Amino acid sequence: MAIIETKNLTKHYILGKRKVVVGLEKVNLEVNEGEIFGILGPNGSGKTTCLKLLLGILFPTAGEAYIMGKPPHDVDMKKHVGFLPENPYYYDYLTGPELLQFYASLFSLEAQTAKKRIDQLLELVDLHNAKRLHLKHYSKGMLERIGLAASLINDPEILILDEPTTGLDPIGCRDTRNLLLQLKQQGKTILLSSHFLSEVERVCDRIAIFHRGYLLALGTLDGLNSQYQATNLEDLFVKTISSFDNQEAAKTGDVT
Amino acid sequence: MKKMWLIGLNTFRESMRKKTLYIILIFALIVIGASKLFSFLTAEEELKMIKDVSFSAIEFFGALMAIFGSLYAISTEIERRTIYTLLTKPIRRSDFVLGKFFGVSMIVLINFILMTVFFIGLLFFKKSPPDLQVFKTLLLIFFELILISGITLALGTFTSDAFNIICSFFLYIVGHLTSYGKELVERTENIIVRGLTDMLYTLVPNYENFNIRDKIVVGLNVSWGYVGWTILYGILYLCIALYIALYFFEKREI
Repeated sequence: MAIIETKNLTKHYILGKRKVVVGLEKVNLEVNEGEIFGILGPNGSGKTTCLKLLLGILFPTAGEAYIMGKPPHDVDMKKHVGFLPENPYYYDYLTGPELLQFYASLFSLEAQTAKKRIDQLLELVDLHNAKRLHLKHYSKGMLERIGLAASLINDPEILILDEPTTGLDPIGCRDTRNLLLQLKQQGKTILLSSHFLSEVERVCDRIAIFHRGYLLALGTLDGLNSQYQATNLEDLFVKTISSFDNQEAAKTGDVT
Repeated sequence: MKKMWLIGLNTFRESMRKKTLYIILIFALIVIGASKLFSFLTAEEELKMIKDVSFSAIEFFGALMAIFGSLYAISTEIERRTIYTLLTKPIRRSDFVLGKFFGVSMIVLINFILMTVFFIGLLFFKKSPPDLQVFKTLLLIFFELILISGITLALGTFTSDAFNIICSFFLYIVGHLTSYGKELVERTENIIVRGLTDMLYTLVPNYENFNIRDKIVVGLNVSWGYVGWTILYGILYLCIALYIALYFFEKREI
């Protein structure tokens, strides 16, 4: 059953009087309950745009998006969603527990529940030893980890992560990967956007490859590999992107 | 309401870390304190001078705080991208905007109280405790400052910081001059000039309505009726400003 759904989701950015840039073009996606779904694509491919549209940060030019059958601006729906933005920035004068407490309050968590949850999450992301440290003194990896904890504060059913392993060292990446698998076992649905093909390959049940705002491929890794005669995800990624670029070049007569 | 309060509190805490506001506050206190230097005047004239300078300083520096406090309230969240973590939580955009307004109002209030306490302390030092008229003047100044905050915040929902600061100061100055302008223009028979002035007079809040210090300083009384109506006038413009802020922020992509 699809818990996240987009129907012809389109986003055009208007730059100047005549220039229109395609952010996303008629994207149809269905993310099933309990799966880890990976969105892949080069820079500017529309991954973040897609996530922002789902979360109501951007508004679509056309098409629709639903999470748990609710539109992106639905406040009640957001109680069940956790989000980690790319390169997260937080209020740097707060400590980790204070930040989590602030977000817990926004979810109206009771004080005792919040305290328990904050302790659990700090343990989970290995920041329990940095409780008194202000966020301005956090390293990039620590910020990513506190961001992950913040996205889990409400024990969400759906987790939307934009480049969750950016800035993490190999051990941090491994821990995040294990955490995602653990969350999946708990029945969470995870929508994940990433550059890191190896991470996606290891954790995702299904993937979508975006390029220049277009959804080029969608399915299980095995299914797509056999469809595109690719040997692995990297090969698949390169083949889909190059094929699209060649087609576009052919249209404009600029064949390489 | 609770979420609005949480956003407000967070805004307040963050703004209290901004050095600009402290610098403005220090300047305000220096100016208020400096009014005591006119000791060569007679006692009565000196008291008038203290009141006049202090009211002006509280109003002017308070306006600076209101503008600078509101100016970055929303834009900083967008610039630092902390807004992504807020708007993806179960809060309405209206909670966010009104929370920001409450936060900025708290900053204005705290600074206003500090300046007022210093000024009243000065009056006590001069053995002239403040009367009700002084408090009426201060009350109207406070509402003017809140209105300035609301207008700057509203502008910040659809303009850049640079444009906002220019507009806010322009409105502050024009808002203090419209009644003089209207008096001047009434002498002309040019319909276009009169029409434009009337339009400006209606669109821009007349901040001079909040200025009763000239009367109070010379010992005249201002009725509670006038104070009440002026506060209502301010609330009306504030509601319009907040409505504009909500309207534009609901439509804003981040």
